[in-house]
Amino acid sequence: MPILRRMIRLGLIFVLLTGRTLLCAQTAPVAVEYQLKAVFLFNFTKFVEWPADAFNSDQEPFVIGVLGGNPFGSYLEDVGAGEKVNGHPLVIKYFKTLDEVKSCHILFVNKAGITNLSDLLSAIKGRSILTVSDASDFLRSGGMVRFYINSNNKVQLQMNQDAAKTARLQISSKLLRLTDKYEPK
Amino acid sequence: MNSNPLEIILVEDNYSDAELALRALKEANVTNRIVHLKDGAEALDYIFGTGDGSNRKAVNTIGLILLDLKMPKVNGIEVLQKLKADEITRNIPVAVFTSSSEDPDVKECYRLNVNSYIIKPLDFIQLGHTIRNTGLYWLMINHLPDK
Amino acid sequence: MPFHDLPIQKKLMRASLLISGMVLFVTCTTFFTYEFFKSRQEVKEKLETLGKVISANSTAALAFDNPTDASEILSALKLEPHIESACLYNKEGILFAHYPDSVHLTSFPTKPAGEGYFFSQSFLDGFQPIVLGDKRLGTLYIKSDLSDIYDRFRLYFLITAGVIAVSFLLAYLLSVILQKNISLPVLALVETAKAISEHKDYSVRARKYNKDEVGLLIDAFNEMLVKIQEQNMTLSEFNTTLEQKVKTRTSELEIANKELESFSYSVSHDLRAPVRAINGFAAILERSHSDQLDKEGKEFLHTILREAGRMGHLIDDLLAFARLGKKEVQKTMVDMTTLAKETVDELLKLDSENNATKINVKTMAPALCDAVLVRQVFINLISNSLKFSHNKPDAFVEIGSLEEGGVVTYYVKDNGVGFDMRYYNKLFGVFQRLHSYEEFNGTGIGLAIVHRIVTRHGGHVRAEGKINEGAVFYFSLSSLIPVNH
Repeated sequence: MPILRRMIRLGLIFVLLTGRTLLCAQTAPVAVEYQLKAVFLFNFTKFVEWPADAFNSDQEPFVIGVLGGNPFGSYLEDVGAGEKVNGHPLVIKYFKTLDEVKSCHILFVNKAGITNLSDLLSAIKGRSILTVSDASDFLRSGGMVRFYINSNNKVQLQMNQDAAKTARLQISSKLLRLTDKYEPK
Repeated sequence: MNSNPLEIILVEDNYSDAELALRALKEANVTNRIVHLKDGAEALDYIFGTGDGSNRKAVNTIGLILLDLKMPKVNGIEVLQKLKADEITRNIPVAVFTSSSEDPDVKECYRLNVNSYIIKPLDFIQLGHTIRNTGLYWLMINHLPDK
Repeated sequence: MPFHDLPIQKKLMRASLLISGMVLFVTCTTFFTYEFFKSRQEVKEKLETLGKVISANSTAALAFDNPTDASEILSALKLEPHIESACLYNKEGILFAHYPDSVHLTSFPTKPAGEGYFFSQSFLDGFQPIVLGDKRLGTLYIKSDLSDIYDRFRLYFLITAGVIAVSFLLAYLLSVILQKNISLPVLALVETAKAISEHKDYSVRARKYNKDEVGLLIDAFNEMLVKIQEQNMTLSEFNTTLEQKVKTRTSELEIANKELESFSYSVSHDLRAPVRAINGFAAILERSHSDQLDKEGKEFLHTILREAGRMGHLIDDLLAFARLGKKEVQKTMVDMTTLAKETVDELLKLDSENNATKINVKTMAPALCDAVLVRQVFINLISNSLKFSHNKPDAFVEIGSLEEGGVVTYYVKDNGVGFDMRYYNKLFGVFQRLHSYEEFNGTGIGLAIVHRIVTRHGGHVRAEGKINEGAVFYFSLSSLIPVNH
């Protein structure tokens, strides 16, 4: 299994990089953090409002897309199974390339699978897609929401409100309270 | 019988009564001199010697006065009053001899110290008895204080 | 003292105080109870609303697992000082955030319980589920301190008690004033009635205060007094007239008595004198001059004597009868048997003709009477009996007593000529005779005297008779039986 081995190796690298998460990661290396992130992704549907033209019809599904490799395993499906967002059935899609991203409302960009974030984000700029990633320079590159682990070892959110505004996404104030504001320098 | 020195004076205005009394005395064999005086005024004159100027009677010769009450001029009560008020005549026995049995007369007479109060009986025989008994009592039986 | 015996003043006072007290009590209690439950309801609703707001606000914090933010949200409760504590549980029921920081975690319920708010001793607490869409995110626990509202209730209670006390005092003062309106006229009426019954002064009038029923009563009372006064006036006028009449009659009677006295005096003095003269001179004529009269002349003289004697008796009896009216009755206890026996003896002594008559004096009850007068009764009745029976061969006279209906009655009974009951009404009249003088002598006054004496004793006299079979004369001396000892 060269892929798996590579993934484990990557994981180890990640662990080495993040240092203190090592102990947690060891028992459930990916699952705990991404399980939480999966839930968060789903929860965004409750605190973010999409413009009406984001959907062509009422029956059109609400799509949560994952680009650049799936770090969630099957958790995302577990969380979203049978759920609806404002009447739209929830669908999870996994994209390999940007070209595949056509109808999508939340796009999680796996930092591991993406090289040029800026290009990617400029490509979808103007579309009402909530872009989420755990890449450190995601917001600087024009992304909207970034997951990060704070000093308490908790998953925290950082948000680029201007980007969300540009995408005509309305972020609930409740959500805003929880997020760190990104201030472009 | 000897002539009795004492007189019996009968003061009576009624002729019939006086006549009957005198006859009764006579029939009772009373020997004393009997003087009949026809009313109170005459009696007072006879006894006290006033009025027509004749001398006063020697009082100690009067043994008994039989006195009628109802008389003209001076009635018996007045005579009795005068007799009993006078020191000299006070002791002369006075027997009121009357027809009246009415209380006021009796009481008044006794108040004036009458000696006897006798109601004249209607019956002549009884009248005689009464007069004789009265005379006998006062002249013979009764003893008067010395004069 | 039972309520219905209380004076009217107290009764009115108690009634008005009781009513106002009851009204106040019910009103205040209702108000207080309403306020109590309403306040609790309000507090509960307020807490529910607060819970909902907190819940809504804390959805994101729960959704994104952010206890810091949750704590921040809870800390907003600082603005509600009555919130003692609050906490959030996540969907697994694990304590997620709490307020205030100072409270120890153990003082919170370890697990969320059923939905809803409940009152306990001094606080209100409850659980509020936190839901986002149809997803349960967690539970809010919130606990409110009730000391505030209980303080308010205490204040309410004090105010209510104060209001009741003040109202009661006012009601008391008002009723003191108002009840006077009712009680004063009544009391005044009572006082007047009392004064009238004590002093018998009917000229007093009750004062009228109002035009109500009491006023009408007072009017009626006063009218009644007017009537009584009028009647009293009439009565006293009548009395005065009566007294005047009595005085007049008395003086008239006195005058009549005086006249009678002088009449009696005249009769005894002036009438007797001629009789005495006739009698006296006839007697002298008979005694001293009868030899000069022939037989017829002697007979005439005899008649003159007899009639003159009768005239004298008539005058004497008439005087005796007249005197009876004047004489006072002096009552003593009299042995009637002895009195009757003595009378019989005297009568027999006076007239030996009657010795042949059998006389039976029975033992009689004593009587309370005037002995002198009753002796006269016996004399008259017994002499009558002797007179009217001595012609009979076996003449008898019986004297006795019997009891008739509680009254002692004495009787004199004979078997003489008797009398005709048809002429009974003439029996006791003055100068009334049922026999001719030729048959039986007498003046016709004897029974009239008996009648007068018995009547003056308060007794009754009656007679029964039958021609040739005898007569019985009954008399009583008093309407009561004398006490026998």
